[in-house]
Amino acid sequence: MEKLYGMRKGGRLMACLMAVLAMLFVDLPEAHAEYGDVVINNYSDGAGMRPVIFPHWFHRVRFRCKVCHADIGFKFQAGGNEINMVKIIDGQYCGACHNGEIAWSVENCNLCHSAKPGTKTQVHESTIQKLARPATTPANK
Amino acid sequence: MKLHSLITLSLAVSVLVTPALAQKSGKDVYGKTCAVCHATGIAGAPKYGNAGDWSPRIAGGTGRLYGSALKGTPKGMPAKGGNPSYSDAEVKAAVDYMLAAVKTAAKPTATPPQNPVAKEEPKPEPKVATSTPKVDKAEPTPTAAAAMAEAVPVGDVNAFNRLLKPLGKRNPPPPEDGIHDPANDGTHALLPPLTAYAGLPKSLAGNRVNWVEAIGTKKINPRWDRTDPKAEPVVMDLNIVREVKGSMPDVVYPHKQHTEWLDCSNCHPAIFVPQKGANAISMAAILLGEKCGVCHGKVAFPVSECRLCHSKKKDLARPAQAAASVAK
Repeated sequence: MEKLYGMRKGGRLMACLMAVLAMLFVDLPEAHAEYGDVVINNYSDGAGMRPVIFPHWFHRVRFRCKVCHADIGFKFQAGGNEINMVKIIDGQYCGACHNGEIAWSVENCNLCHSAKPGTKTQVHESTIQKLARPATTPANK
Repeated sequence: MKLHSLITLSLAVSVLVTPALAQKSGKDVYGKTCAVCHATGIAGAPKYGNAGDWSPRIAGGTGRLYGSALKGTPKGMPAKGGNPSYSDAEVKAAVDYMLAAVKTAAKPTATPPQNPVAKEEPKPEPKVATSTPKVDKAEPTPTAAAAMAEAVPVGDVNAFNRLLKPLGKRNPPPPEDGIHDPANDGTHALLPPLTAYAGLPKSLAGNRVNWVEAIGTKKINPRWDRTDPKAEPVVMDLNIVREVKGSMPDVVYPHKQHTEWLDCSNCHPAIFVPQKGANAISMAAILLGEKCGVCHGKVAFPVSECRLCHSKKKDLARPAQAAASVAK
């Protein structure tokens, strides 16, 4: 294949042809993450970090909704809390527990910052996200 | 002449490329076939990413694993996973894919941090063919072809329930789920949901866990207080019945199940005014994430479970009302 790429004149045509063929044979990656996983990408992409994925299911096994949404003060809105690392280290939001005492501390960057780069802020698998849309538009907004 | 050479060239390419692309990667084969049993461990199948299940089998040698996958085992593994259309190389690639998951899961913290890009590569050759377009997409300047690829519907367009999540793709482990980055070492240290859900009561939607029953039967006992494991919720047992338009059964809202999880202030007064008749609730609002939809359809059971809320039959309520008015 490298040899074919090397041919300049046919190169572009070849790339198009291959792309078309590729579309016919390859399933695009689909997201099948867990219901309620929240992706937070307020600042991450801009700062060169992977976006954050908050797994609701993992936390609700350990804490009732009230602990985070009433006591700690998380709003019921993905990306609506304007969380940043300064606030977390200061003991707000995630930092209320992720402080090395109740849960592991902020040094484990990659456990939260684990989404594919460019993933938008969303509640994954939410009803709004799953409302069927025309097949000609991207499925995840 | 130029045109002629181009045509022959493109023909040659299509001949060269087609079989290479038709060859499925280990991941694809796993997702389409193996995952049916190996994602959950049905019928004693070694579970994807579970080192405990795999280590005795790995000890027997990769060659034997290939053999089991290709020819089947008396324990229940069908030859080629029951799909003889796969080539031997495709089946082996799927085995390699499952083995890779166990190996990466076994040493998630040992790998150096901040190594985002070059991790997914050490996989068998068949992967190369299918991963080509992905590489295309990951390029900083998206090509027109990649943009087109986004717009084209994929998969079998006439498949049954095309838009529903197929059985093998429910509750996948984080590296498989499509939003976690498999190139991130932390992703492989995360707990796969199914591991946590083992033993929890099941439901038909959402996480496919019946969380209310799980807490009611003490299968889980999440903390009510951040630090005090002994704090108990203040449960309020009061049902609110909302008569609804049309033929749907009326809604019974149970405070009990909600106050097991939530504080009064979570809903009142911002989302629901605590006064009869003061809240205009519609399914449209709920679908768009308002009222009940603030949680239902995001974390609590989704709106597909109509009868969990619309649970009070009208034809039973009506005669009772009529009788009451006659008695007056």
